[in-house]
Amino acid sequence: MTTDSKPIPIRIANQRAYIWDVDDIAVLRSQHRLCGILAGTLPHLSQQNVFLGVPLLMMPEEVVLLVEKKFAVLVDDPNAHQVPTASQLKTWEEEREEFAKRHIVVNDTKINQNAASRSMSEDAMRKRKERMERKAAHPQQAALIDTSPEKSLLPGERAEVAPALDSRPTTPSSNITAAYPVIIPSASSTLEWYDTSATTYDTIEAAQAAGIWSYPSNLSERARCGVFRDLWEQGYFLGGGIKFGGDYLVYPGDPLRFHSHFVATVIDSPVSTLRPMEIVAHGRLGTATKKSHLLCGWNDENKDVSYLSIEWAGFG
Amino acid sequence: MRNRGARKRVLRADQRLSPPFIIMEAHPSYRDISSLSTKYPRAAGTLFLAYNDIVYSQQWTDVEVLDLEPCSRAAIRGRRPNAERTLNVVPCALSELISLEWLENAFVSLANPPEVYLAITTEDSSIVYYKISRGIVKPPL
Repeated sequence: MTTDSKPIPIRIANQRAYIWDVDDIAVLRSQHRLCGILAGTLPHLSQQNVFLGVPLLMMPEEVVLLVEKKFAVLVDDPNAHQVPTASQLKTWEEEREEFAKRHIVVNDTKINQNAASRSMSEDAMRKRKERMERKAAHPQQAALIDTSPEKSLLPGERAEVAPALDSRPTTPSSNITAAYPVIIPSASSTLEWYDTSATTYDTIEAAQAAGIWSYPSNLSERARCGVFRDLWEQGYFLGGGIKFGGDYLVYPGDPLRFHSHFVATVIDSPVSTLRPMEIVAHGRLGTATKKSHLLCGWNDENKDVSYLSIEWAGFG
Repeated sequence: MRNRGARKRVLRADQRLSPPFIIMEAHPSYRDISSLSTKYPRAAGTLFLAYNDIVYSQQWTDVEVLDLEPCSRAAIRGRRPNAERTLNVVPCALSELISLEWLENAFVSLANPPEVYLAITTEDSSIVYYKISRGIVKPPL
């Protein structure tokens, strides 16, 4: 983890803000009291959502705060990927091939070692012998299972297909025939043709003008940013409030160490309609969960926030 | 005088259509809140419910009503049984629409107490109280 003041790049794609570097995630959490939500999962197990990893998805209020405080810059991620030159592609292809070859060598060594240890095992020898004896005792069954090419029902067809397959043009990566894993790096920053110099914005206005970011675009979003910033400046950690029917959960420290003390609701203006039923619902849920409910009123003229805390009176 | 007049009007056939009003005026506690009920007729019902609950059900002492002009209603002030502090109650019907400004005005008009109790009443006379505090106040442990 670094402690220098170099702004953290927040990658913007489709109006959403992501952090791809775990060191940046650590800085955000430990130095800037911002948590975001880990959103990355495995491509083949996209439904598992218990152990998530990079990227970190940031709340728009967090993004606005970070950029306004000069802790982060916004990067137009899709446009930072430029068209690679032929030589860049060639280098990339060679590195990939080199990696694959290295992996195959390592893999072969492992397989040989395993095979050696297996053949030495007496247990394995005994089992193999038993298998052979069983096969000899039931020759009919063995014949049924056997589906080798020469016993195929349509030998002619197979013979015709085979040369067609061979005559296909080879693809550049097919010089390697053995199986090897393909690693897709999660970050683009190591790619030679990834250049953020022309696609980095250090103010929200500049990013909005470039059309990659729109938040905050109306009174309601300004109110949310204002309330988020004001609570953050008082030293609180903030998380999403959906689980307790509010806009934010307000924690006195890192959410991994503390329970939240408050559920906060953002109210766009001092004259916004408030129904007594909301006070009852918020107040009762808060009291039942040992939290106070915060009504956070945004004043768009003065750009300030006023707070009212609600809890059940304890009588009546 | 007012009470006797009310009792007479109970007998009039044309007024039997609005029994709550007749009962309210005939109630012994009505004289305590009559002037502010007349001044703010729209809030008379919720004030009546909250006042009676505070006096008879919660058994508060030194209960008084005061004019809460910016909210167009009366507020109730008193002490809980065996308690020293004087608390402020603002009655409010469940069907009313309020705002943060409305609550802020109530605080100012009541000489800025640390908290105000909002008594929310419904038409079936059930009532619930919520403590509203200014600022960010931690929940009790």
